[in-house]
Amino acid sequence: MIEPVALQDFFITFFSAALIILAGASYALLFAWSKVNSHFRIKIAALVSYAVLILSVAELTRAAHFQGYWLIISMAMAVGYFFAPIGIWHLCVKTHADQDLIKTKGGRR
Amino acid sequence: MNTSDLNGIIPKSNRLLDKARTYLDDFKAWVNLDSSNLSTGQQLAVKYFTVAVILFFAQLLFGMLAAIQFIYPGFLYEILDFNVNRMVHINAMIVWMLYGFIGSIYWLIEDESGTGIVGLKWANIAFWVLTGAVTLVVLVYLFIQIGPGKDSSLWFINEGREYIEAPRWADLGITAVMLVFFYNVVATFSKGQWSGIGGVLVLDLIALVGLYLAGMFYMTNITHEQYWWWWVIHLWVEATWEVLVGVIMAWSLMKLLGVRRKIVQTWLYIEVALMFGSGILGLGHHYFWIGMPEYWLSVGGFFSALEPIPLVAMVVHAVYDAGVHAFKTVNHPALAWVVAHAFGNFFGAGVWGFMHTLPQINMYTHGTQWSASHGHLSFFGAYATINIAFFYLAIQQWRGGVWMAAGAHHAWRWKWALGLLNAGVVGMTIALLIAGYEQSFIERAVEGSTWGGYFAAQNEPSFQRAMGWRLLFGGITLAGFILLVWDLLTIGKGETRKIPTINQS
Repeated sequence: MIEPVALQDFFITFFSAALIILAGASYALLFAWSKVNSHFRIKIAALVSYAVLILSVAELTRAAHFQGYWLIISMAMAVGYFFAPIGIWHLCVKTHADQDLIKTKGGRR
Repeated sequence: MNTSDLNGIIPKSNRLLDKARTYLDDFKAWVNLDSSNLSTGQQLAVKYFTVAVILFFAQLLFGMLAAIQFIYPGFLYEILDFNVNRMVHINAMIVWMLYGFIGSIYWLIEDESGTGIVGLKWANIAFWVLTGAVTLVVLVYLFIQIGPGKDSSLWFINEGREYIEAPRWADLGITAVMLVFFYNVVATFSKGQWSGIGGVLVLDLIALVGLYLAGMFYMTNITHEQYWWWWVIHLWVEATWEVLVGVIMAWSLMKLLGVRRKIVQTWLYIEVALMFGSGILGLGHHYFWIGMPEYWLSVGGFFSALEPIPLVAMVVHAVYDAGVHAFKTVNHPALAWVVAHAFGNFFGAGVWGFMHTLPQINMYTHGTQWSASHGHLSFFGAYATINIAFFYLAIQQWRGGVWMAAGAHHAWRWKWALGLLNAGVVGMTIALLIAGYEQSFIERAVEGSTWGGYFAAQNEPSFQRAMGWRLLFGGITLAGFILLVWDLLTIGKGETRKIPTINQS
């Protein structure tokens, strides 16, 4: 059973849902960038994006009244958005494995 | 009418025909495109692209008329009613995108398979049959706007299913044309060489043709009816079309950026897995309120939450690839439209989709202008952009493979067309978002989805202002389209520099 969003939570529901995707993409972008250019600030920015994502997931969970098995969606978003960019990065490295690839400041691939 | 009248009409019509022929010849001389630069398959492809552009114009024109009617409901009342304008607006969009996709596939299969198109004669016949059928269907939409809902109207006038209103005779015709298209693709790859791209394309076309059949059922139970109808609408758009775009993108990236075949094919497989993995059961978000069992709320909610994953994958890979290629290309407009595709797809499908997809909020937003806002940005971002990118690839070849990158003449045209079209669509999206927010709040949440609530929401000043802004941005989109057509007809004219060949293995 679902409990609809309350009137006063309309805006925050839309906003937090949008922010999950935006923060997830920012985290993915900054994570990938930190691999290409291993600068400390970029890593921090990636973690800040992820923190925004977690806050957004928490807010959406509250506003949309996630209970019971609906909490699996919140967990899946929190865990999935963290590991997906890491997994995709590894896929990138593997699929380009026999090519002379990225030259990074830190010399990492 | 007597014989002397007829004697007057025949020379008059001959003179008109001669005049039209002269105008056409003048136009061809002005455009100055040389079809000898194209293979026979590519010549067929540009026919599809030409019709696609005409239908794109029809989409914008009828969209503008419908937008005006939101503000002035009496405009063209009982001449060209809102429901007809909206129907042609949406149908034209679906069909022009299909024309673009089919043209793109005809364009690339000769290169991809290493041989000429098998059954080209049938393909040409199919093109004219399809184009004739589309023209006839649109004329029937425009001239027979009202009438009884009988079996004969379902067969010959309008099937009454939103987005795929074409009558059943046209449905059967479209399916036959798609089967010819499928035969061309399979036979060409079978005669030439198969590739990963070819394999994914063929499997996707099986799904594309098969799913269209699901839209031809007719049932008296509205829930059953909607159940199958969504197979066409959702599974076409969020599964088979996405994969088709993946195929076109994979081939285009090899041509535009020289990305190696092994890499694009591997990523194509990954994309197919992610798209189908999340997209097929993401269908559930359309089953929330049509009378389906309650478990679809959870299934739809969960898989809709997964649907942005391919978009996140795209972001990571774009950063990875940018470090390798630094976006060196010989066709700036095409690459710019590919970049617009990446952003448009992410925002339109990802952000705008997830904002209102969970059932806890979707029960208020479903079918409001919020859906229209999401639809405008996601269709434009995911599909219009990639078709336009391909038009630029095609025109480059049509001009004889001329330089269309840094230092190209009149580059402002494609840049302004890109800017106006994107600004127009984003503006419409924001305006519809405001209208949808107001509508879902007042009509649905406060007034409880009553008729009174519907009219209360429609009469809200914020809703009406938003519709005014939508019309304005629709005009900007139309201006961008006109500039785009001008640019497509003239870009590369007089350019003597040739592009270097990009090799991929």
